[in-house]
Amino acid sequence: MLAIYKRELQSYFFTASAYVFMGVFLALGSVFYAVGNLAAQSSDLLGFLWNMGYLWMLLTPILTMHTYAGERKSRTDQLLFTSPVSLTGIVAGKFLAGATVLLGAVALTGVYVLVTAVYGRVYPGEALCGYLGFVLQGCAFLAIDQLISARCRAPVTAAVWSLGVNLALWLLDVLSSAVSLSFVSRVLGAVSLYMRAAPFQEGQLSLANALYFLAVIGLMQFLTVRTLDARRWSE
Amino acid sequence: MITFSGITKRYGGTAAVSDLSFTVDRGETLGLLGQNGAGKTTALSIMTGYLAPSAGRVTIGGHDLMAEPRQAKRLLGYLPEVPPLYDEMTVRAALRFACELKLVVAADIPGHVAEIAEKTGLRDMLGRRVGNLSKGYRQRVGLAQALCGDPEVLVLDEPTSGLDPRQTAEFRQTLRQLAQGRTVVFSSHILSEVQALCSRVIILHHGRVVCDQNLKALQSAEGLRLRAEIRGDKKRLLPALRELPGVRSVTALPDTAPGVCSVLLDCLQPPEKALFDLLCGLHMPLIRLQEAQSSLEEIFLRLTAEG
Repeated sequence: MLAIYKRELQSYFFTASAYVFMGVFLALGSVFYAVGNLAAQSSDLLGFLWNMGYLWMLLTPILTMHTYAGERKSRTDQLLFTSPVSLTGIVAGKFLAGATVLLGAVALTGVYVLVTAVYGRVYPGEALCGYLGFVLQGCAFLAIDQLISARCRAPVTAAVWSLGVNLALWLLDVLSSAVSLSFVSRVLGAVSLYMRAAPFQEGQLSLANALYFLAVIGLMQFLTVRTLDARRWSE
Repeated sequence: MITFSGITKRYGGTAAVSDLSFTVDRGETLGLLGQNGAGKTTALSIMTGYLAPSAGRVTIGGHDLMAEPRQAKRLLGYLPEVPPLYDEMTVRAALRFACELKLVVAADIPGHVAEIAEKTGLRDMLGRRVGNLSKGYRQRVGLAQALCGDPEVLVLDEPTSGLDPRQTAEFRQTLRQLAQGRTVVFSSHILSEVQALCSRVIILHHGRVVCDQNLKALQSAEGLRLRAEIRGDKKRLLPALRELPGVRSVTALPDTAPGVCSVLLDCLQPPEKALFDLLCGLHMPLIRLQEAQSSLEEIFLRLTAEG
């Protein structure tokens, strides 16, 4: 698993993926921070992180489009799947590499926290809760999009499908507040990756929602392993 | 070393390979022959665990590939038809990664990479990016990756396809050296390559084994064919040759020089003494006598003929 993790992480930086992801993430993050905090003279980091949460659905496909679909297209998957490394090890290694890039991008937003601390006031506990929810939400999108990548034959197809599914997940959020049926609204709200992140962005350390995100990540990883294994039987 | 027991692979209602059963002994070099679409790549993909069979069982070194994939795959080195290369990596990084995948101890990796690079002629290429290499060198990197972990079994899928004649000759030479002490299975539709490298051949046709024999035995089973050049009159010579004991048929070939008859003798047993006695009696000197073995190409074409 360590070999897969190291190669995947190197690959993000040898190709343009990590730079594009981090560049767009920080550029848009700067806009959100400039408008929401600097111009408004606000120390509200949680509001900033809530807005940043919408970036995941647009940007995680950049990290995941090559993860499996690219390997399949270039036939390098043959090297991995004929090696003595288990499918679980391959999937975990690739996920952790993607999560490392994602965490690296999040860590760079620490600059905004520093600026806020210098010119305003930062409540560490509240900020940590906000960041925990923000990272868990990003990792959940990463795991979902990696599953989609495992199901596609070409990176572009994987990126388009990932974007579509991410947007559909965002629509669930919109629908949950729009539908009048309370049961349907509650169900949609319960599965929404945005609603589940909301308590963190209110400064609450929500164990139930943290477990929900971890469960989504675990389920997606499991389904990715099953998808890759099923391909051996169907191809 | 390798056993294939009743391997079948179906795609929907179509079987890519059907009921393949054979074993490959330790140290043997097996050539898998077949036309395009005969099932060679599917068979090799199943042999390396890349594909799962619809039915049947594969073992490598006694380990079931489905039940003990880790142990079985440690014994394998695989070079697919398209070498699995990461273009953005250097050759050294690619080989290091392949060593790590094959669970080579970290401290041994630099030495192991240097040794493999030496064997495959990549010593001067270690710092180059894989994406910038020529087709021949890319093939060598693919082979070097397959050798990482010093596997007992090498599986090569059409390893020389797309190489120019010089690269092909060099690659075959490297393969011949690497095959020493290893079990090698490779597929090809280049018959001369199989003849040059293999001790045994399996011919696949429509996903089924139509021939599984030792190459020498296969050729000798086809009978002994001799090409003779004799100075003399063809009208007297041919009927006399047909009367020779052990000669099944005599075919006149175009004359190689004025007054020199060239004939092809299809024999059940070596007729040298009888032939010599006959020619002495006829006062016709024998200029040349050489074995004209039934070529693999003929055997292959006959076994894979449609209808």
